[in-house]
Amino acid sequence: MAEEPLAAGYTSTDLLHLSDREHVRERFGMYIGDNTARGLHHLVYEVVDNSIDECMAGHARQVSVTVNVDGSVTVEDDGRGIPVERHAQLSEEMDRDVSTLEGVMTVLKFGGKFQKGAYQTSGGLHGVGVTVVNFLSEWCEVEVSRDGHVWQQEYQRGEATGPVRKIGTTTRVGTKTTFKPDPQIFPSTKFTWDVLSRRLQELAFLNSGVKICFHDAASGQTEAFCYHRGIVEFVEWLNRSSDAIHPDVISIRGEQDGVTFDIALQYTGEFTENLHSYVNNITTTEGGTHVSGFRSALTRSLNAYGKKTGLYKDLVPTGEDIREGLTTVVSVRVPQPQFQGQTKTKLGNGEVEGIINSAVGDFLAKYLEENPKSAKAIAQKGVLAAEARAAAQKAKALLRERKGALSGGGLPGKLRDCTSRDVAKCELYLVEGDSAGGSAEGGRRREYQAILPLRGKIINAYKSREDKVLANEEVRSVISAIGAGIGDEADLGKRRYDKIVIMTDADVDGSHIRTLLLTFFYRQMYQLVASGHVYVAQPPLFRVRNKKHVYYVQTEDEMKTQLLDQGLGEGVFDPGDGRTISGEPMQKLCRTLAGLEDALVALERRGVSLRDHAGRRDEKTGKLPIYHVYYGPEERWFTTRDELESFV
Amino acid sequence: MPRCPVCSKTIDLKTLATPPFCSERCRVIDLGRWLDEGYSVPHIRSGDDEEESGPEEEADG
Repeated sequence: MAEEPLAAGYTSTDLLHLSDREHVRERFGMYIGDNTARGLHHLVYEVVDNSIDECMAGHARQVSVTVNVDGSVTVEDDGRGIPVERHAQLSEEMDRDVSTLEGVMTVLKFGGKFQKGAYQTSGGLHGVGVTVVNFLSEWCEVEVSRDGHVWQQEYQRGEATGPVRKIGTTTRVGTKTTFKPDPQIFPSTKFTWDVLSRRLQELAFLNSGVKICFHDAASGQTEAFCYHRGIVEFVEWLNRSSDAIHPDVISIRGEQDGVTFDIALQYTGEFTENLHSYVNNITTTEGGTHVSGFRSALTRSLNAYGKKTGLYKDLVPTGEDIREGLTTVVSVRVPQPQFQGQTKTKLGNGEVEGIINSAVGDFLAKYLEENPKSAKAIAQKGVLAAEARAAAQKAKALLRERKGALSGGGLPGKLRDCTSRDVAKCELYLVEGDSAGGSAEGGRRREYQAILPLRGKIINAYKSREDKVLANEEVRSVISAIGAGIGDEADLGKRRYDKIVIMTDADVDGSHIRTLLLTFFYRQMYQLVASGHVYVAQPPLFRVRNKKHVYYVQTEDEMKTQLLDQGLGEGVFDPGDGRTISGEPMQKLCRTLAGLEDALVALERRGVSLRDHAGRRDEKTGKLPIYHVYYGPEERWFTTRDELESFV
Repeated sequence: MPRCPVCSKTIDLKTLATPPFCSERCRVIDLGRWLDEGYSVPHIRSGDDEEESGPEEEADG
């Protein structure tokens, strides 16, 4: 009933030997990854890579890439041009006269890259590059200018449509390749400007001095890339919209055992790492030994520096902390790269790790030593990252704790709350110490006024110095008493009081604690301050009792005036010349004298005697000098600013 | 121009999402410092200090 199994007909006719061309077209995935947009754009890179190789070998200076109106792409360089003469080995193998150019375009594993020393670390797919592009193109055309002539050959789906022809004379040199991707292979053959532009710019960064021009014939859009400082400019470009924390881009370059490395880095205020790594111009998105060598050297060098300078005393940043805000471009050239990983974009060569590690380590140790300002900024950036990690955990714990405590239950034990729930009328007084809390307790209106006593905690900051801090429990008490939360969970509507009143003692220490509290509110409860809920109480300095009348005086100045007025009363001044002064003129006289006394005290504090000073009076105007100048051993006085300035 | 109290980046208080910090991250770092008792003011000793800073208290500080 069933058909004959196919295996039964297994004979030699079932086996095929695919030609190179057929194999590439059948199995394009092996050569260009896939036939999506990624694979399509890869065709351009393959051709460009050959031109870049010519540039890097010193034979070309410029590469131009044009997307033509018909969707084909032209890549042109001013290199030596692919040789066009008959190739002996190939001609013998194929039993006809074959031009080298035709070999390059139609035979896999044929090319200059196999010659030792020709292109030491080329980026192309090792001799399959341009051939594969030709095989996957609907049509392709190559023009070679060399030895005064222009040579040309055309292909259809990888097969030459005729021999290499001489089509004219020229004084130029170079290779110009035009190809149109085959729609039989690629579902979409549309190139994207941004994708090509980004890669071409990247190549210009990686190959300093090479000029790459990019033109879209359909839109007329043109760009040119050329970077003489290479990846240093790449880093500058990547950091163009970030704030760098040190002015210079650090550049580390060298060569060892045939491995060339070029590394550029700079820290910014950003919070993420931005690393681009390349092996022979190929992007290594999965990193590899060159990246791990760099990273471990960076962590080691900065840790050593941080420990030595004492910056990493309390917190030791991890490698990840140290790389926060770091922009790096790592470009290495390896003669025999081994690629591993899911997408074959991870460098596997073990020897590279050690070479990069020791070179970067040596360089950074010296750099950090010689650039103390940048070194400190970089090291501190790492500390900040470590601090952020730790702080995020603490903030999370605090939030959990507050969420866990049900309403009311989470209030601090020390809080003497008010009884009313009418927020608009409620006030919270932050007072200093338990004893102040006690006296405030006696005077408060229990219904609307709540009291939270806080104590500054004294810590030994240095040998001979003591500092005061707001203890951890106090910070928590303040947050939970106010109830409006902080940061992400802040909600002004949840505040339990309308006025938060800071009422510390009227001494220097009190003003210090007030500063701490105000700073805390401004930073962690910004909205509370901005919308005017935070107050500072100014308790009067004096209580005055005059017979049965008791009142308060706010400042020392006011107190002096009060005392003078009170003391004068019915006083009369008799200078002894028959005049008597009393009442209003008497008060005026006393105020003048009091003012004079203040001035006198100020004068004496500066070491000026009134007797000497009176002698400096200007006879004409009756004015005393107010500007005092030492000029060498000389001492000069001036009455007006003009006099002073003409002297100076 | 005002600066972020943690990272010193210049900031515009009017447009910030997390004033007076440049970012939520810097705000959290600041909170961490408060919780760690990292912010201090100089302590001025005076006569009536004794109630607050007896010798026992200083011993654990």
